[in-house]
Amino acid sequence: MKKVLIVDDSVSMRQMVGFTLREGGFEVIEAEHGQDALDKLKGATVDLVITDLNMPVMDGITLIQNLRAQPAMKTKPILMLTTEGLAGKKEQGKAAGATGWIVKPFDPEKLLQTVAKVLP
Amino acid sequence: MARPEILRASRATGEIPPQSSPAPESGPGLEAEVARYLPQLGRMSEQLKQTSKQIEESVVGVCDSFQGIAARARATVARATGFLSNDEQPASGKQSFEGLIEACSGTLVKIMNTTVEAGEISRRAIERIEDMDTASQQISDALSQLDQITNSNRMLAFNARIEAAHAGNVGMGFAVVAVELAAATVRSRAVTAQVGELALNLRALAESTLQDLRRMNEKDSERVEQCRQEVDASLRDLQAAHSEMVEMLNGMTAEGALLATDIGATVRGLQFQDRISQRIGHVVADLDTLSARLETHVGNVAPGAAPADEGFSAYTMHEEREVAGFGGEEASAGDVELF
Repeated sequence: MKKVLIVDDSVSMRQMVGFTLREGGFEVIEAEHGQDALDKLKGATVDLVITDLNMPVMDGITLIQNLRAQPAMKTKPILMLTTEGLAGKKEQGKAAGATGWIVKPFDPEKLLQTVAKVLP
Repeated sequence: MARPEILRASRATGEIPPQSSPAPESGPGLEAEVARYLPQLGRMSEQLKQTSKQIEESVVGVCDSFQGIAARARATVARATGFLSNDEQPASGKQSFEGLIEACSGTLVKIMNTTVEAGEISRRAIERIEDMDTASQQISDALSQLDQITNSNRMLAFNARIEAAHAGNVGMGFAVVAVELAAATVRSRAVTAQVGELALNLRALAESTLQDLRRMNEKDSERVEQCRQEVDASLRDLQAAHSEMVEMLNGMTAEGALLATDIGATVRGLQFQDRISQRIGHVVADLDTLSARLETHVGNVAPGAAPADEGFSAYTMHEEREVAGFGGEEASAGDVELF
C-alpha cells in the first residue's frame, strides 16, 4: 500500500484529504506544518507528499526545499494543495521542487487521478 | 464620525455612550471617541476566531460522520458480497449462501433418491411375492394331481384286495400288499391334505401381504411425487431468494457508488470552511493591525501590538484580492497543473 504524507494546518482539510486518499486505497500520515512533517519523516519513508502552502512554524515552500535536500525525497512526488493560485507563487513552488500545484477546493476524484499520475 | 455598523454592534454590548452625544470630526475629541471603541475591535477579532474554530469543529464532525457512513456502507456491501458469493469463507468456517443452496439441494435429491429406491425395492418385493403366490398355486395344482393319484392307488388297493380274496390262500401275500398300499394311500392323503392347507395359508398370507405392499407402494408413489413437487418448489424459492438478494446487492453496490460520488461532492463543498477560516484569519490579522495602529494614534499602545508602520496581512485568495482591488492572472479553484 502506497504511503502519503499530508501536511496542512487545517484539521478539517487533513481529514478530507485523508478520507479521500484512504478511500482510494492509500495509507495516510498527517502533519500540521512543515516542521511536523520533517519530524514525522525521520526514519520513515513515504511515496508522496501533499502539502499546503501557508502554514505556521514552517510553510510549504520551505518544507519542499528541506525535503528535496534529503536523498530519500529527491525524486519523490510532492504536490502543493493550496488556496493560492497566483502564477508567481506557483513559480516559487516549482523552483522549490514541487511536482504539481492543486488549487483548493479540490475535487476528490480529480485528486486521486492526479495522485495516480504522479506516483510511479 | 463613528460608522453606524460599529455603533450598532457596540450598542448591543451596552458599552457605548448615548448616540445623542455629538461626535467630534477631528482632534483630541476624535481620539477619545476612537479610544472608547478600541476594545470592541479586540472583541470582534476574538468573536471571529471563535466562529472560525466552531465552523472547523463542525466540519470535522461532519467529516467524521461521512467516514463512518462510508466505512459502514463498505463493510455492509463486503459482508453481503461474501455471504452471496460462491467462495467459501475459510476464516469463519461458514458456507456461502449459494453453497448452502447447493448443499440443501444435494441433500433433498439424496432423500428423493432414497425414497424412490425404497419404492423400487417395494415394487420388487411385490413381484417376488406374486411369484411366490404363483408357485403356491402350482403346488396346489400338483397336490390335486397327487390327490387324484392317491385316489387311483386307493381304488387299486381295494380291487387288489378283492382279487386276493378270490384267489384264496394263493392270494394271501397279495392281500397283505393290498392292505399296506391302502394304508399308505390313507397316510398320503393326510399329508397331501396337510400340504394343501399349508399352501392355502401361504397363498392367503401372500395375498394380504401383496395388498399391503401395493397400497404402500401406491402411497409411496404419491408421496414421492408430492415430495418432488415440494422440493422443486423449495429449490425454486431458494433460487429466487438468492437472485433477489444478488439483485439487491447489485443495487446496494450501485447505491454505494452513488454514495461515494455524493460524499466526494460533499467533501468538495465542505472545503468552504478552510477558505472561510483563512479569510477570517486574515480579517482578524487586519483587525489586530488596525487596533494596534489606532492605539498608537490615541496614545494607548497595547503591549506586543504591531508597529504602526506594519502593513496589513497579505491576501492569498482570489476573492480576497478581488475585494481588495488587486488584479493578476490566477488559476481557478480546482485547477491542477503538473510541472
